[in-house]
Amino acid sequence: MAEEAHTATTEAPHEGGFPPFDTTTFPSQLFWLVVTFAFLFTVLWKVAGPRINGAITGRRGAINSAIEAARKARGDAEAAEAAYRTALAGARARANALAEENRQALNAEIAQAKSEADAKAAEAMAEADTRIAATRDAAKAHVSVAARDAAITIVARLTGDTVSPEDAANAVKS
Amino acid sequence: MAMNPMEQFAIKPLVSAPLFQIAGHPIYFTNQALLMIIVVVASSLFLTLAVKPGRLVPTRGQSMAELSYEFVANMIHSATGEDGLKFFPFVFSIFMFVLCSNFFGLIPGSFTVTSQIAVTFSLACLVLGLVVVTGFIKHGIGFLKLFVPAAPWYLLILLVPIEVISFLTRPVSLSVRLFANMLAGHTMLAVFGGFVVSLGAAGGIFTGLAIAPMLLIIAIMLLELLVAFLQAYVFAILTCIYLNEALHLHDHH
Repeated sequence: MAEEAHTATTEAPHEGGFPPFDTTTFPSQLFWLVVTFAFLFTVLWKVAGPRINGAITGRRGAINSAIEAARKARGDAEAAEAAYRTALAGARARANALAEENRQALNAEIAQAKSEADAKAAEAMAEADTRIAATRDAAKAHVSVAARDAAITIVARLTGDTVSPEDAANAVKS
Repeated sequence: MAMNPMEQFAIKPLVSAPLFQIAGHPIYFTNQALLMIIVVVASSLFLTLAVKPGRLVPTRGQSMAELSYEFVANMIHSATGEDGLKFFPFVFSIFMFVLCSNFFGLIPGSFTVTSQIAVTFSLACLVLGLVVVTGFIKHGIGFLKLFVPAAPWYLLILLVPIEVISFLTRPVSLSVRLFANMLAGHTMLAVFGGFVVSLGAAGGIFTGLAIAPMLLIIAIMLLELLVAFLQAYVFAILTCIYLNEALHLHDHH
């Protein structure tokens, strides 16, 4: 009790003394320092530190994943462009092939039509030739018959004999 | 109107009766205790509530909290390397405690926790105690090699005592540096504040002259803001450097 009274009186700042060196205040200072520093340490260690760390790493992660997504989107766009280019090239090739095929089909058709027309013309020509030949033969036959008849008539007129048509024909022929 | 510039450092019980006793020593709720509580509660709340983990674009407060976090993390990383980061909560607490104590102490009428040698010396002893414990856990008895620099044996007779003494004076230099800086700055502010008051009270031409110490106070105040940060930084970086020695002895150069 006596000690308590003693410290209580010296606790008050005495005139002219240097307060930081007043050892009677040290127990209170140490006690409150331990309590408050332990509190601060616990809060920063268990709550604030992980929280701030989470915010920083979370932001870093979000930025990195956004960059990653952007890179991926660019890759996708490039891939899409490449696919478009190949599709375009394919379509162009197919169009060319189709045109070529068409042209060939047309050429073949034309050639066929031409050959058909040629064949028809040749046929007509051949027909005409045979007809001409037939006409010629017929004419030739008519000529020999006419000569035979003429010979028969001449012989009959001149000699009065009747010559058989066969003989007349032979005679004419020879 | 003469004020004692030392009066601002006096620790006064806010409740006249002691709260309780520890080993016969009465514990009072003092102005310093109030400021310590304000400091740790304010910094705890700020560092916790200003930060929302999901927020991509930080608010001003969150930026400050993240900035202080990364500042301390980079400090530890550059001074002690990767394995010093397990001391992050401790160094962060030391830094925030000293920084906030220094800044809150600059509010006129408040109390500067770090202007008390008992506080700074306790913190310094805590740091050096951690250094010693870490060193012995990491290196066992080999931690004592810290006191044996690479030198010929006949020089070691001289060097080992010097190394031991320099190690033992670290708590003193660490604590006195912070304590003296705070004490000197606040004393200066109080002295020039006293000049302003006495010149203003003198009347006549002296009232006009009071503007000169007033301007000086503003300049010193700006300087003290810098010192408040700088001393917190120095305290924290020295903590890192001492921890680095405990972790890596002399091989980390």
